[in-house]
Amino acid sequence: MNKLDNLPKKKILSLFMTCGFPSLSQSKKIFQEMLSHKPNIIEFGLPFSDPMADGPIIQESSKIALKSKLSTKHSLNLIKSLKKGSGNTAFVIMCYLNTIQKFGVKKFTNEIKSFVDGIIIVDLPFEEEASIKKILDKNNIHLIKLISPMTNKKRSEKLLKDAKGFVYYISATGITGSNKLDYSEINKNVSLLKKQTKTPVLVGFGIKSRKDALAISNKTKADGIIIGSALIKKYFEKNMNFKKYLSSLNKFIKQVKI
Amino acid sequence: MKKYNEPNILGRFGDYGGMYVSETLMPLLIDLDQSYQKIQKDKKFQKELSDLFKNYVGRPSSLHYAKNLSAYINGPKVYFKRDELNHTGAHKINNCLGQILLAKKMGKTRIIAETGAGQHGVATATVCALFGLPCHIYMGSKDIERQKPNVFRMKLLGANIIPVESGSKSLKDAMNEALRDWIKNVRDTFYIIGSTAGPHPYPKMVRDFQSVIGREAREQFLKVEKKLPDYLIACVGGGSNAMGLFYPFLNDKKVNIIGVEAAGKGPKTDQTAATMTSGTPGILHGSYSYVLQDNDGQIKEAHSISAGLDYPGVGPEHSYLKDIKRAKYYGVTDKEALSAFQLCSKLEGIIPALEPSHALAYLIKAFKNKQKGKTIILNLCGRGDKDLFTAAKAIGFDADE
Repeated sequence: MNKLDNLPKKKILSLFMTCGFPSLSQSKKIFQEMLSHKPNIIEFGLPFSDPMADGPIIQESSKIALKSKLSTKHSLNLIKSLKKGSGNTAFVIMCYLNTIQKFGVKKFTNEIKSFVDGIIIVDLPFEEEASIKKILDKNNIHLIKLISPMTNKKRSEKLLKDAKGFVYYISATGITGSNKLDYSEINKNVSLLKKQTKTPVLVGFGIKSRKDALAISNKTKADGIIIGSALIKKYFEKNMNFKKYLSSLNKFIKQVKI
Repeated sequence: MKKYNEPNILGRFGDYGGMYVSETLMPLLIDLDQSYQKIQKDKKFQKELSDLFKNYVGRPSSLHYAKNLSAYINGPKVYFKRDELNHTGAHKINNCLGQILLAKKMGKTRIIAETGAGQHGVATATVCALFGLPCHIYMGSKDIERQKPNVFRMKLLGANIIPVESGSKSLKDAMNEALRDWIKNVRDTFYIIGSTAGPHPYPKMVRDFQSVIGREAREQFLKVEKKLPDYLIACVGGGSNAMGLFYPFLNDKKVNIIGVEAAGKGPKTDQTAATMTSGTPGILHGSYSYVLQDNDGQIKEAHSISAGLDYPGVGPEHSYLKDIKRAKYYGVTDKEALSAFQLCSKLEGIIPALEPSHALAYLIKAFKNKQKGKTIILNLCGRGDKDLFTAAKAIGFDADE
C-alpha cells in the first residue's frame, strides 16, 4: 500500500525538513515533533552540496547537515527509524539526482522501498526521467511531478499523464522560500492542472504563515500546501536554542494546520 | 569512417550532457534550444556575428610560429593560436557576442553571467555595454580577491558585480547563484554561460560559437604548412577554448588532441581541479559529465592557481571525447604552470594567462627533445595581465605600489 494513494480530498499538509539538520540526533527530534502533528506528508530533504534550486535557508541547512559528515546512508537510516508509529503520514524524499545516481538507482530504490511512498527529484525533468521512473514504478514509489508557472498547458498535460501521489505546483518562479505569492495566478494555473489530472495538486514555495495557508485554501482550487523554508528559518532567529526552536516549530505547525 | 555528429537532439554526447534542471527552467531551455536552431540557419544573424568578429573583436586572430619556444623545446614546431589578442584579452568574447545576439532575438532585457577568472565576466560586461543591456555578474569572493583588475574592468563597463560567499567562493558557486537568479527571473533574463558546461543547449551552443578558433586555425595552418598539425593542445577548465579549437578537427583522425587540466597541488592531492584525471561521472549544473565528488555524490571543492580552471566539473563533450579516446587529458600542477608562464614571457615576448600556461607547461614537459619534425597548435586563449598580481605573489615579487 502507498499512503500517498489515500490522501484526503482537501487541506493536505506537507512539511519539508532537511535530514541531519542541525545534527543527526537533533534532526530526529525535529521529525518526531513534526510527526506528532500528524501531517499528511513529510518531505525528507537529502542535503546536497550544490542545491541550485534552493534558496539561502535550505542551502544553509544543507551546509550545516553536511558539515557533520552526514552520509546518504545516515539520512536513509534516520527516515527508516521514524517509520514505526508514523500512522497515516506518507514519507517522501526530496533530493537532487546526483545523490541517487552515486548511490546507484536500483540500490537506492531497494533501500527505501519499505518506508518511502514518493520521491521528488528536483533536477530530473520529464525529458530525463524514463529509466528512473521505470524502476520506481516497479517498486510502488511515486515519482512526484513538479509543475512551474513556466510550464504551459500542452507541456503540463504531457507531464501529468500518469501523475501519481500528488502534483507539486511551484507557486512562484523563484527558488524555495522566496518571492511574494500571487493568488489569482496560482488559482488560474492550479485550476488548469485540476482539469488535467485527478491527482491532488499541492502548492509549494513561499508559504510562510497561517494567512498564506488559509488564502491558498480559500482563494484557490489547490488541494493542499507544502511548507519548507519557513519551518527551517526559525532556527536561525536570534537567541534561538534548540529547545526554543522545537517549541516554536510546534506553535508554527499548529498555526498552518487549517 | 563515421562522421562526428554529437550531440543528439536531447543534448547527449554519448551518455554525457542532457538537461538536469528544475521544471522552472525546462520550458526556457527548450525555447532557447529552438531559438538557437533557428539562428543557425539565419544568414542575417551569421553575418552580423561575423562582422562583429572582424571589426569589434579583431578576428581572425593570428597563428604565430613560436620559433624561440620551439628551439628551446628542441622538438616539434609550435604554433600559437593567439586568441589572447582578441578584444578583452581572451577567447570568451567570441561566445558572448553570439549569445547576446541571440538574447536580443529572443527579446530578453536583462543579462546575467558567472565568472571565475573574470575573463568571461569582462567579455559579458563588454557586450552588454555594446548592446545597452543591464548586466549582473556573479563572482566568488575568493576570485574577486585574486582577479582585482578584471573586477575593476567589469565595473568600468557598467556591470553590477555580485559577490558569492557560499561554498568555495569560486566559479562553481558563482554558477549556482547565477542559476538561482535565472530561476527567479526566468521571464526577462538571459543567462550567458561562459563555458561548454551547463544544461543543453549550452555545451553545444558555446562550442559552436567558439569553434571559430579551430576553423581559423585549420585554415591558417594549412596555408603555411600545407598539411594538418600533428597535435592540438589546449587547457581545459569547463573547456570552451579547447572545444573551440578541437571541434573543427574532430574528423581529422590523424590530428592528435590533448586537453590539459589544472592539477593544482597535484592530481593525487585534495587540492586539484583535474576533473577527468581525478573525477568520476556525475551531475553538476544541469549536465552529466566528469565531476570531482565524494562517495556520496557531494561535489568537492576544486583548487587551482588559475581562477579560470578552478572548477570541479568539465563540459560533457570533453568527457565523451575522453571515453571514446578521441582526445587525451593530462594534469599540470600550479608550480609547473607558473614556470611555463615565466618561460613563455621571456622566450616569446608574450605574457600568457595562467590558464593557457597549463597547456604550455604540458607542451614543454611532454615534448622536450622529442617528436622532432612534428607540428603543434597550442591555443593561447588569454593574456596574462589579469594574473600579474597572483603570479607576482606566487613567485615572490612585491608588486604593490
